[in-house]
Amino acid sequence: MTLAIPSSTLNKMLNAMIPAGADDADLYLQHSQSESMALEEGRVKHVSSSTHQGIGARVVKGEAAGHAYTDRLEPAALMEAATAARTIAEGKQNNAPVAIHSSKPAHALYRPENPAMAASMHERKNLLERLDTLARGIDPRVVQVFANVSASFSDIHIIRMDGAHLHDARPLVRLNISVVVEQDGRRETGGAGGGGRFGLDRMLQGEEAERLTREAVRIALLNLDAVAAPAGPMPVVLGPGWPGILLHEAIGHGLEGDFNRKGTSAFAGRIGEQVAAKGITVVDDGTISERRGSLNFDDEGTDTHRTVLIEDGILTGYLQDKQNARLMGMAPTGNGRRESYAHPVLPRMTNTFMLAGHDTPDDILASLERGIYAVNFGGGQVDITSGKFVFTTSEAYLVENGEIKAPVKGATLIGDGPSVLKKVSMIGNDLALDPGVGTCGKDGQSVPVGVGLPTIRIDELIVGGAEI
Amino acid sequence: MTSHLQTLSQQLVEMAKISGACEADAMAVADTGESIRVRNGKVESVEREDAQGVGLRVFVEQATAQGTGLAFASASTSDVSETGLKLLVKQVMEMARISEPDPDAVPPTGANHPTRKELDAWTERHTVDASWNTEAAKQAALTCEDAALSFSDKITNSEGAEAGFGMVRVAYASADGFAAAYEKSSAALSASVIAGAGDGMQRDYAWDRKRSANALRAPEAIGREASERTLRRLGASSMDGGAMTVVFEPRVAASIPGHLISAINGRAVLQQRSFLADQKGKHIFPDFMRIVDDPDHPQGLGNRLFDGEGTRCRPMTIIDHGALSGFLADRYAARRLGSTPTGHASRGLTGDISIGTSNLILEAGHQTVENILHEIGNGLLVTELIGFGVNGVTGDYSRGASGFLIENGKLSRPVQEITIAGNLKDMFANISHLGDDLTWFGSSAVPTVAITGMTVAGQG
Repeated sequence: MTLAIPSSTLNKMLNAMIPAGADDADLYLQHSQSESMALEEGRVKHVSSSTHQGIGARVVKGEAAGHAYTDRLEPAALMEAATAARTIAEGKQNNAPVAIHSSKPAHALYRPENPAMAASMHERKNLLERLDTLARGIDPRVVQVFANVSASFSDIHIIRMDGAHLHDARPLVRLNISVVVEQDGRRETGGAGGGGRFGLDRMLQGEEAERLTREAVRIALLNLDAVAAPAGPMPVVLGPGWPGILLHEAIGHGLEGDFNRKGTSAFAGRIGEQVAAKGITVVDDGTISERRGSLNFDDEGTDTHRTVLIEDGILTGYLQDKQNARLMGMAPTGNGRRESYAHPVLPRMTNTFMLAGHDTPDDILASLERGIYAVNFGGGQVDITSGKFVFTTSEAYLVENGEIKAPVKGATLIGDGPSVLKKVSMIGNDLALDPGVGTCGKDGQSVPVGVGLPTIRIDELIVGGAEI
Repeated sequence: MTSHLQTLSQQLVEMAKISGACEADAMAVADTGESIRVRNGKVESVEREDAQGVGLRVFVEQATAQGTGLAFASASTSDVSETGLKLLVKQVMEMARISEPDPDAVPPTGANHPTRKELDAWTERHTVDASWNTEAAKQAALTCEDAALSFSDKITNSEGAEAGFGMVRVAYASADGFAAAYEKSSAALSASVIAGAGDGMQRDYAWDRKRSANALRAPEAIGREASERTLRRLGASSMDGGAMTVVFEPRVAASIPGHLISAINGRAVLQQRSFLADQKGKHIFPDFMRIVDDPDHPQGLGNRLFDGEGTRCRPMTIIDHGALSGFLADRYAARRLGSTPTGHASRGLTGDISIGTSNLILEAGHQTVENILHEIGNGLLVTELIGFGVNGVTGDYSRGASGFLIENGKLSRPVQEITIAGNLKDMFANISHLGDDLTWFGSSAVPTVAITGMTVAGQG
């Protein structure tokens, strides 16, 4: 683990930036390399790469935090950043020398290797061309194919206030396919994607890339027959996997420590209360091997955990970084995350999912007299204060008397976070995690996350279709 | 500083040519700034940024079945040391050689660049302003939050007020010898507060962003607006759905021209990814509508003299008397569409060119909002939209909303947990009223917009 900056300089920065009475401080050095290759109109013609390196200096005291970063790794710029980070606190600097020493993380959840190295650019190009051919061969109505493969590798060093030095090397890959189909002048799209913290070779082997391509074409063709979704309150059955975005929006954000410490979340002060139907258990687990939302330790150097948020319907925990945990008298949960050295730390989710129940997916669907069966979604959003959240279907069906009647166009579903899980009346035995596509946005920062869900029935959500 | 960046971008173009690129263009940027957030009268965070980076796009000639063609690739780095730059050039050349030639690829050489005289005149006219320092920004944030919190006893909590200021410096150079640099300052102030408790809690915010701190609205005014907006939401509940007229406040109406721009993006049109792909010249809006893109507006944050390919930017009337005048095109899209580049090439440090506007203005109407509500009688005023339920290929639209019920020509009560749905093509055509309240949001300006016949879903 080589550092781009001599440890004597880091030592000097650390000593200069820690004010008297500081609760926390750290340096975050990052070198990240991303490569992306995209195919459109039958050609691989967008190849790009980006390299970011820099250092973030952070000081935390009470409820305040100072953060300064610089891309210029020269001594003067580094000391300027260190000085700027401590402007939140008055008082003399702490001159007690800190010795930087290596510290071992608890987990090794992914291989610390650049995932791009596992597949040459030629191999990636061949893959994209193969998927293009495959998609067009499935159905002549496929008129456009977009395929993108990307890999990033982030090398991170965290030097904590006590001098503990942690190192992580985080791989992340992603494959995305989307197609446009056309029939009688009507155009529709469909898409699919997958990825995780592993080498790119994984996307090249096996049938996953082919499966995603078939999935994208299937959804697009299905949409050619989609009718306007109904409008109004009705029961909704969510399929397994990515529909877990419901949990991410409806409860996950509302349970982040910062909002609860400040009392701005609809979930503030509700620990111990019943916020979901009996039988519902929801966890956030950053320790699942090779998952997109997993980390060996969070961006403050805290080991990641499996945190139970809701147990058998009762609210049991929040997602915490160090600052909010300390201010709330709780333990950090390994959820302090930042997009990069250029961003401040916030409590964020990792992989958030509901544990399986006992109902079969068939029984759950059969219970639906008239409603929506939604198996795939686009993005979602939440207002954590009012608790209202939305997520938008990308594959959904109108169901009557337990039978699928017709695919429906994308519709936004809206609900109330603190009450929606009380309306869950059936929980499937088919828990699945999403294929590795989630990106969560908060305060302008994007971080990779995962979600998961078994098939569930929600007795009522408002469906925002265009059909009255 | 900007001259240093300009030299850097020119140096990169030279290095690329020496490495075998037949064409190249490069950008160099430096971003500096600070933001100070206060909450309950105390500093909550101070953030300082000091970013730099360079981006390089190269074109190489490759043999194809039809002769030769140009293939390209792009790369960026924040490491501007000599080693960093050399590595960047090596990487980007390798990638370009793997990339597939496109017969329509157009290098930036020979774009309709602004003249040196125009560049100088622009720099002289567009001065930067750095009137805020950390302390001044902090004071503005404190004043702003205090105005919000002291506005009413019903304000129960604060998400704080934030003041930020910064400078971005950008240089661009292309292989035909064009090189230019500019700098832009900005300042922003916002506040967000909470009213009510438990299930009835509501939050809203107010903000402003300008080229100079002096041009911002008064901190007190922003704070008061945040509180007013929050208080009026108290007691919100859902409502009965149905077909009705939906009125978009300027804050949310800004999304309407945004959806138009995505759909008339020349590249999306080429790839059949737009529901407006066959609508050039057609009346897609009512006759009274005019939408312009103005790259040199005294109010706008999006001013620019040239775009991401060095093409001189000029004002464009995108919608004239309701008709779509044309698609927005970079050099590549223009060649394939058989049109001229419109100066809308937008590029970051890495990746391909995308399409972006400068200052997008949906021109105001002549009616007061009060008058519009009176004419509509019954409907919904939307003040916040959430979610991403817009399909650019089909125009299908479905989003979460909150706002106010309009009854008998007046706002009657706050509503939430509802959705509004329709199809953008119909929504554009069914705009019935434009307010006289043109409001700027950074680089776009819109008035209140009313649309008839949308579907609202809720639970009365």
